[in-house]
Amino acid sequence: MSASTFTVHIVDDDNGVLRAMARLVRTAGYGCRTFDSPLQFLDQYDPTGPGCIVLDVAMGELDGLRLHEELRERGVEHAVIFVTGKGDIPMSVQAMRAGAIDFLTKPVDSDALLAAIERARSEDAEKQQQVDERASIEANLAKLTPREREVLTHVIAGRLNKQIASDLGTVEKTIKVHRGRMMSKMGVHSVAELVRLAERAGVPPHEKQ
Amino acid sequence: MSPELAKETDRLDVLSLRDSVSTAMLVALAYFVGAELAFFIGTLSDKIFAPFWPPNVVLFCVFLLVPMQRWWLYILVAFPAHIIAELGVGMNVPQLLVAFVTNVAVAGLNAAAVTLLAGGRPWLGDPRKALIYVAATALVSPAVVALGGAFVPILGGTIGSYWDFWAQWYASNALGSLTLAPVILTWLCEPWPPLSQTPEAQRSEALALATALVVVCAVTFAVGPGTAGNSFLPALLYLPLPLIVWATVRFGVKGASGAIFIVTVVLIWRTMNSQNLFTGGDAESNVLALQTFLIGLATPVLLLGAAINAIRSAEQTIRDSQERTAFAFASNHIALWEYGTAGERFWTSANCNAMLGLKPDVELTRTSFLGTIHPQDIAAARDIIRTTAVATEPTTREFRVTFPNGETRWLLARGYAQRDKNGDIVQTAGILTDITDRKAVEFEAELQRREVSHLMRVSVMGELAGAIAHELNQPLAAILANAEAARRMLRQTPTDIVEAGAALDDIVHENKRASEVIRRMRRLLRKGDSKPEVVNLNDLVESTVKLLHSELISRHIKVETNLGADLPIIWGDPVQLQQVLLNLMMNAMEAMNLVPPSRRVLAIGSHHVNADSIEIVVKDCGHGLAPVSTKQLFEPFFTTKDQGLGLGLSICLTIVKSHGGDLSLGNHPDGGVAATLTLPSRQIQTMAAK
Repeated sequence: MSASTFTVHIVDDDNGVLRAMARLVRTAGYGCRTFDSPLQFLDQYDPTGPGCIVLDVAMGELDGLRLHEELRERGVEHAVIFVTGKGDIPMSVQAMRAGAIDFLTKPVDSDALLAAIERARSEDAEKQQQVDERASIEANLAKLTPREREVLTHVIAGRLNKQIASDLGTVEKTIKVHRGRMMSKMGVHSVAELVRLAERAGVPPHEKQ
Repeated sequence: MSPELAKETDRLDVLSLRDSVSTAMLVALAYFVGAELAFFIGTLSDKIFAPFWPPNVVLFCVFLLVPMQRWWLYILVAFPAHIIAELGVGMNVPQLLVAFVTNVAVAGLNAAAVTLLAGGRPWLGDPRKALIYVAATALVSPAVVALGGAFVPILGGTIGSYWDFWAQWYASNALGSLTLAPVILTWLCEPWPPLSQTPEAQRSEALALATALVVVCAVTFAVGPGTAGNSFLPALLYLPLPLIVWATVRFGVKGASGAIFIVTVVLIWRTMNSQNLFTGGDAESNVLALQTFLIGLATPVLLLGAAINAIRSAEQTIRDSQERTAFAFASNHIALWEYGTAGERFWTSANCNAMLGLKPDVELTRTSFLGTIHPQDIAAARDIIRTTAVATEPTTREFRVTFPNGETRWLLARGYAQRDKNGDIVQTAGILTDITDRKAVEFEAELQRREVSHLMRVSVMGELAGAIAHELNQPLAAILANAEAARRMLRQTPTDIVEAGAALDDIVHENKRASEVIRRMRRLLRKGDSKPEVVNLNDLVESTVKLLHSELISRHIKVETNLGADLPIIWGDPVQLQQVLLNLMMNAMEAMNLVPPSRRVLAIGSHHVNADSIEIVVKDCGHGLAPVSTKQLFEPFFTTKDQGLGLGLSICLTIVKSHGGDLSLGNHPDGGVAATLTLPSRQIQTMAAK
């Protein structure tokens, strides 16, 4: 995944600071969108795609912490990095509890800021990867016939073909065919792999009545 | 009353009574001697008897000197003296009694009239009192009592007309009041200056005058039998007059009474011993003539003496008053001056030269006056001379003078033009006051005011320290980020030169912004003299809002400025004026602490009230002022804040007043407090600035 697709949203009502931080972020190879007012940000912010938000705490219209609250209420997943001119401990604790990635004081050390952004990016990437993986598992699951899916639940429950055939009222050979097709459709070669995928996708193993 | 005190009081009464008794004895003796003297004169010559009756004069003087309640005592002791004296000349009892009653009556009436009408001493001190004295004691009172006195000779069996006796009795008593009584009352009862303080020349003059008068009278009055019909006779009578007038003019009523006494004594002596002006007929006519002459002489001379005394006393009063005035002026560092329009000379009070640092003998002219003035104040000094002469109202100027020893003093001149009936200026006059001490106090007060005002600014800066640090942090943050970005760009290939240049431009810009913050802060913290200069109030408001920017954000206060366009500039001290704005805004900010953040609005407006003044209104949207008087709000140490010193508004008001403006606070109809600052504008300079 290329870094340039990762967008840093910077919100600061001081234009000088805003421009300088944007410049720094771009130099480091990230994409950047700037907002010089929290209200403008709420209006124009695009939460899709990979990215993070750098928020100034002390802003006239709406301070950073309140803005963060608002974002969480909207279910925004982008990580938030706080930047403040006069941060104190209670404020930083509140911010971190609310799920911020970092709480930096101005003048911000560029390494610290970029490190925080990078951390956000990697977290974001990881999260994206999980999302992607789950999506592909679910896509594979969708390809299964009802019988194959039934067989899957039995397989991840650790049952043998013979037992499954007995449970489903069929012969072992048939189960073997379903099982082969199912394993191939799920793109796995071992039961262990299948169990992991099922677990991730939230498919429960068959439980014996 | 305690027994001791009672005893003491008794003793005092006894003492004073003993005193009174011994005085009374003396009076009785004087009465007796006076009577004997009169009889003696009467027996010396067959041509004349005593022209006046001394015992009555003695009683009259005593009555004048002692309180009326004590008269009885002296009447009591005089009575035996009277009996003894009169029995000695063979008076019968009814005659003797009537004589005593009339004697006491005339003396009492005289004394009562003088005391009641003319008041206390000096009885001959001024013309009014002297006139009352003469009218009472030489006219009315003897004339009335003579109605009874005329019976004395009748009862004695003397044959004659009642009115002749009345006239004799009247004249002898009137003359006594005019010749003998004034000497007693002025020579014996008036204070004399100590002999040592009397100049030698004056004593010699008095002695020479008395001697000359005795000689002249002795020679003049001793006319031979042939001279009686001489044509020089009337002229001779006037010969003593120059000496009498001289004595009167030089020595006042004392001189007058003394001279009259001398003339009387010499005349009686001459009349008894030789041919005389008044010895042509029988004894009664001679005496009546002599009495008429002396009454005619004594009356105007006494009145003249009293007038001289009044003039002397007035002169003394004026001298005393001048002395007091001069002392008061000198003590208060005030001098008087007059400046004629004709010449260039000043008339001044004595201390003026000293106040200007000139030697006492230097003549004060326009040039010598201007020569003392401090070079920088010459214009003001010239101005007071020039303006006073044309202005209809008194003019006032302050200027400094430099003494020869280099000392500088502040003077205040106040002058007005004196005009004649036509309204033309006769001269200018006024006062000169040394106000150096006042100036020093004012200067000291101004220094202290500046000191306090500076301390208040420092304290405001302290309150704003956090906000200002933040204000400074912003550009620093931008500078750091830009610098880091530029560094990274320069390391990258290909190097984005354009963007790196832009980063450096921003660094320069942000640096200037930081300097601006520091400059604003430092200007407000500046101490000492700040000279008045041209101030654009709108700029000042904006600069103050910037200074408070971070504080406003952290307090969640929104600022709404509504600054009038084309506002004229004003003349003032920008630091002090900004202090006022800062103070008003900070008060407004604090007033909104309890208002929900979304509703906190600080409104600042400026506009033209009229051609001469600008108004700035700082309004909050807090809960308004508690009902305290507006005057109280501006009083030092009055505060509504928990941790306020109560000096802010007081200092603001002082600053605004010193700019010729005004400051008021009041609840706004829309809620909150509105502080209204009015300052005079400078139209002419606005034009010049444009």
